[in-house]
Amino acid sequence: MSSNSLLTEEVLALRGRTVSYTAPEPAGAAAGRYFGLAIGDDNPLYADPDYARAHGLAGVTWPLTLVCETNQYAGLPADADGYAGHTWGLDLPGTRQVRGGNAYVFHRRIRPDDVIVATWCIDDVVGKVTGSGHEMVIITSTARYATDAGEPLAQNAETLIFVGLEQKA
Amino acid sequence: MSTVPSPGLGDFAAVQAAVEAGQQVPPLERTIALVDMVAYAGATWDWYRSHYDPAFVEAAALPAPIVDGQVFGALLVEQLQDWLGPRSFVHELAFTFKNLVFAGETVRCEGTVTEVDEDRLTAEMQVVVVGEDGTASRVAVAGGRAVVLLGTADGPGAA
Repeated sequence: MSSNSLLTEEVLALRGRTVSYTAPEPAGAAAGRYFGLAIGDDNPLYADPDYARAHGLAGVTWPLTLVCETNQYAGLPADADGYAGHTWGLDLPGTRQVRGGNAYVFHRRIRPDDVIVATWCIDDVVGKVTGSGHEMVIITSTARYATDAGEPLAQNAETLIFVGLEQKA
Repeated sequence: MSTVPSPGLGDFAAVQAAVEAGQQVPPLERTIALVDMVAYAGATWDWYRSHYDPAFVEAAALPAPIVDGQVFGALLVEQLQDWLGPRSFVHELAFTFKNLVFAGETVRCEGTVTEVDEDRLTAEMQVVVVGEDGTASRVAVAGGRAVVLLGTADGPGAA
């Protein structure tokens, strides 16, 4: 058993946990066009099929990072704070949660007729102590996105950090 | 600052030849208003209240709703894609979050080319928050690294 009090058996048991969500319908062109509008990206690859075809694509595509927004496939109800996505059910009292970063790999562009399957796995759970003596738990996970035929589309590795509010050392 | 103009159809080879290590990626600057954040929340099915509800974040002693961190990934892709044109493909993009960004703030995506090969370039990327005087007031995203495939509109998985 680790001396890090945040690194409980329950937390360690998260290693290797996997969930999978399959979109209930094809990706569609409107979702990509709307994402482009929302982010302020007016690239015609997302809205103009003639332009996209002139540059070697079969038609319009999604802005690349949209595929990694897993909530759209999960179909989960929103909680009291409005969050409608997957959580690992992890509640660590006395901590604050910090997002560490992202590492995307994109294999190909999303086509409107793609049916997307998201498979999300916890790769590792590690306990550390900050330089100021606060315990923390670092959770790394990777979400992989593929078509329903198994064709790889993208992956997104994320780091989530829970930092203890109380100074231990 | 040395930059390459955004390529139109057919002039990609000239752009490819002009890109070299040490070159600055043309910056992308964007003010992220609350309405933009509402639109992004809708587009991503992420309705967590911290991204648009001032009362919710005030209870957490934050000055304004927090910009979703994934916005910076989308902006960095836009910056690279706009620069290198439709016959390029952002294959890899990684970064670390450093500071929160709040509704109404202006961010600037910055990059420097570190390596150019025949079929790809690598760049270091970051996102800074821009102060009223136009200088960086804090770093939002650091340690960024992008690998962009050149001469192709789609990724290796499209073959």
